Amino acid sequence: MSKDAELVKKLQSSMLKDKAFSELLDAYQERLYWHIRKIVVTHENADDVLQNTFIRVYKSINKFEGKSALHTWMYRIAYNESMRFLEKNKKKSYDNIDEISSNHLEVLFEDEYFDGDEIQKKLHKIIEGLKEKQRRVFQMKYFDDLSFRQISDILSVSESTLKSTYYTVVKIIEEKIFL
Amino acid sequence: MRKSTENSNKETFLKKGLQSNIAKHHKTYLGTNVPEGYFAKSKISILEKIKEEQQVVEVPKKQKVFWLQPKFRYMAAASVVFLLSLTIWLQNVKSNTEESQVNVELLSFNEDVLLDVLLIDDTQMNAFAEATLINEVVIKAELSEQNLDNLILDSMISEDSLLDDYLGNELIENIIL
Repeated sequence: MSKDAELVKKLQSSMLKDKAFSELLDAYQERLYWHIRKIVVTHENADDVLQNTFIRVYKSINKFEGKSALHTWMYRIAYNESMRFLEKNKKKSYDNIDEISSNHLEVLFEDEYFDGDEIQKKLHKIIEGLKEKQRRVFQMKYFDDLSFRQISDILSVSESTLKSTYYTVVKIIEEKIFL
Repeated sequence: MRKSTENSNKETFLKKGLQSNIAKHHKTYLGTNVPEGYFAKSKISILEKIKEEQQVVEVPKKQKVFWLQPKFRYMAAASVVFLLSLTIWLQNVKSNTEESQVNVELLSFNEDVLLDVLLIDDTQMNAFAEATLINEVVIKAELSEQNLDNLILDSMISEDSLLDDYLGNELIENIIL
């Protein structure tokens, strides 16, 4: 039995749930945080979404049937929670997508927990200029180090499409970063 | 020379990241970081929040506006059914009352007739009785007497003629034979 399968078993047992949940946090909290952070931009937002994600995981763990890997399932929850957060905030603050995009960068560069140099800012600008799907694929593959199979499960897109998207994005970034 | 350095930078820029750990990766390439000891504090905070959530689950849910509560909906449905059945019942009761009113009217009419009869004068009653006697009894008796007379006369006449015929025939036969 794999480590994740064992952990799921414990999480689904009412006696061992709390202890197992603490183990789950140790194993996935940081990875999920960075995954969320790239979507919701600021540390404060990422903190809120991370909490919501783990609360949802805790509540839904009994419904987890093991059809996908535990971490894929959790990434999907984190992704959905992040998108829900953005949707909620979009309704509150912005009128159109361009405004959101430029606002994302402004918010990021002003964030207390961002201290990027010029080249890092440039990378952010390039990434922000990508299409939504391209951006997510690149971030998941490159920064979160997920496999194409895992990304395919999270985004419900075929692996071949993901591969072609990713390599296109890598090419775009490589061309633009040192211009 | 410069171009070849740039090219090697391009290649290493994306490849380097794959080998480092995630936090470092984000710090190095995206310039993003987190407060010191954030993950330890966040873990405690998440566990506390889950405890709170569990307590919230145990406390009964916030009550909806009273007319949206399922209990009230059942009560409203029951009231509607009750009102409908009450209306139907009242209609039935009304028609029964009408029927009984008709019966009462009929009974009171009969009683009125009987009372009227008791209150009629003897003279009127005698006159009615005499008239009835004359019409019904005397006239009928006379008519039947006349009929009887006619019958007797008829029979006498027919008997005489038959006797005459018979005697005549007998005499002729006897004399001739």
